[in-house]
Parts: sequence; C-alpha cells; structure tokens
Amino acid sequence: MIRETGFVDIRVSAPYDTFGEARGEKSARRFEVYGYTFIARKPG
Amino acid sequence: MTTEALAVNPSVLREEVKKKYRDVACNPHGEHHFHTGRPLTRRLGYDQAVVGAMPDVAVESFAGVANPFVLRALARGEMVVDAGSGAGFDSFIAAHQVGVEGRVIGVDMLAEMLEKSRDSAKRMGLGNVEFRQGILEEMPVEDGWADVVISNGVINLCADKKRVFGELWRALRPGGWLQFGDIASGKPVPESAKANIDLWTA
Repeated sequence: MIRETGFVDIRVSAPYDTFGEARGEKSARRFEVYGYTFIARKPG
Repeated sequence: MTTEALAVNPSVLREEVKKKYRDVACNPHGEHHFHTGRPLTRRLGYDQAVVGAMPDVAVESFAGVANPFVLRALARGEMVVDAGSGAGFDSFIAAHQVGVEGRVIGVDMLAEMLEKSRDSAKRMGLGNVEFRQGILEEMPVEDGWADVVISNGVINLCADKKRVFGELWRALRPGGWLQFGDIASGKPVPESAKANIDLWTA
C-alpha cells in the first residue's frame, strides 16, 4: 500500500520482538507478529 | 475505498482504540498486552542518553512498536508531523533531533493524551512542539507542510489504511520522508479474525 500511494525508495528494518515477554506475546507468536520500521520518500 | 469494503467499521474501531489508549494515558503502569514506558524504549533501541533526560511523565505512556528514527535520523531544521502522537514521546525525540530551527506538530485524537503531551512539553521547555487534536484520516496540517511524517504503532489501528496513507502523502512536501513503526504478521490472518473488533486492540 505504501508503493500504491506513490512512495519510492522504500526500506524496512530488521524485526523488533515488540511483544516478547508481554501479555500479548502468545497472540503475537500465533500470527508471527513483529514490529518494523518503514521508510519511504515522496518523489520530489 | 468504501466503508463497506473494510474489514471493520472505522468509527466502531476508533471508539475501541480510544478506550484502550485512554487507559494507557491515565494508567500507564497498568496491565496492558504490550510493553510501555522506559523498558519499551530500551527494547526498541532508543538513545538512552536522550530518553534518560526526559521526565517520567513524558515516557511512561509510550506504547510504540518500533523506532521511526532508526533508518534515518532527522536533520536540524526539519518540519515534522507525528501522526498519532499519543503522550508525545516520539514528538519529543523529534524535537530534540530537529533543534530549535525545526518544528514538530503532534496529532492525536485523545484529549487525555493531548493534555499529557502538552504538559510534558511545557515541563521540558520545548518551544518547537505543538499538539493538535485530530485523526489520521483527516489531519489538521496544511498540504505539503512536512519535511518528514513519523508515526509509531498507529496506522495498524486504522481501518481505512488507504485513506491514511493518502493523508500522510498530502501532508508531506515533494521529496519528504515518511518514517514509521508498525506491526506486520508473517502468517495470513483469517477473515473471521480481521472482522473481530476485539482483536484489533487486544
């Protein structure tokens, strides 16, 4: 969807174990949910 | 995209999100399904020298999912919009990076979060940050104002993501950067789960 909007130069970070050891860890593991940083640029 | 095409009703989801994050604002040390506060900032790799200088009230309700600054630090003088600024933590990091020549506008829909973020900014003497009430689908920011739009763990809580990305695009100047933290799943989420409003905030 980022690309569909028109953004370019899209990059994604390595995953963060955002929910590790939190109460929501079980649900996160079930769907392999991790946090990521995304960066993209609006063409000039 | 029409409301009918979405997995859940945006207004209903928004009210559930408000309920959840009102609790994070007022009861940051309560039992939440996610980490919050200083332990979370360490988990996500924030610069502890900067975080350590902030008062507890500016950090305790932080509930982001990644670090919007890890792939690109902000430059001094940049104009930044923090989409879904919560209690202001990422806005304060941004204010530190852009310096007094820059400016940060945090946008959040919750009065409790706005009150907390404004109090923290005042306490830290930050004159380059302001907080405005609004939703991501309709941000109170003029077209092309921002050099950078940041966000952290908020886009995933919006039902109409196409509309949200369109709005982030609108707020950015040509050549501007979108840098945000969010969650993604490695396994397909069943349609029945997508339609379950409780799972969006649980």
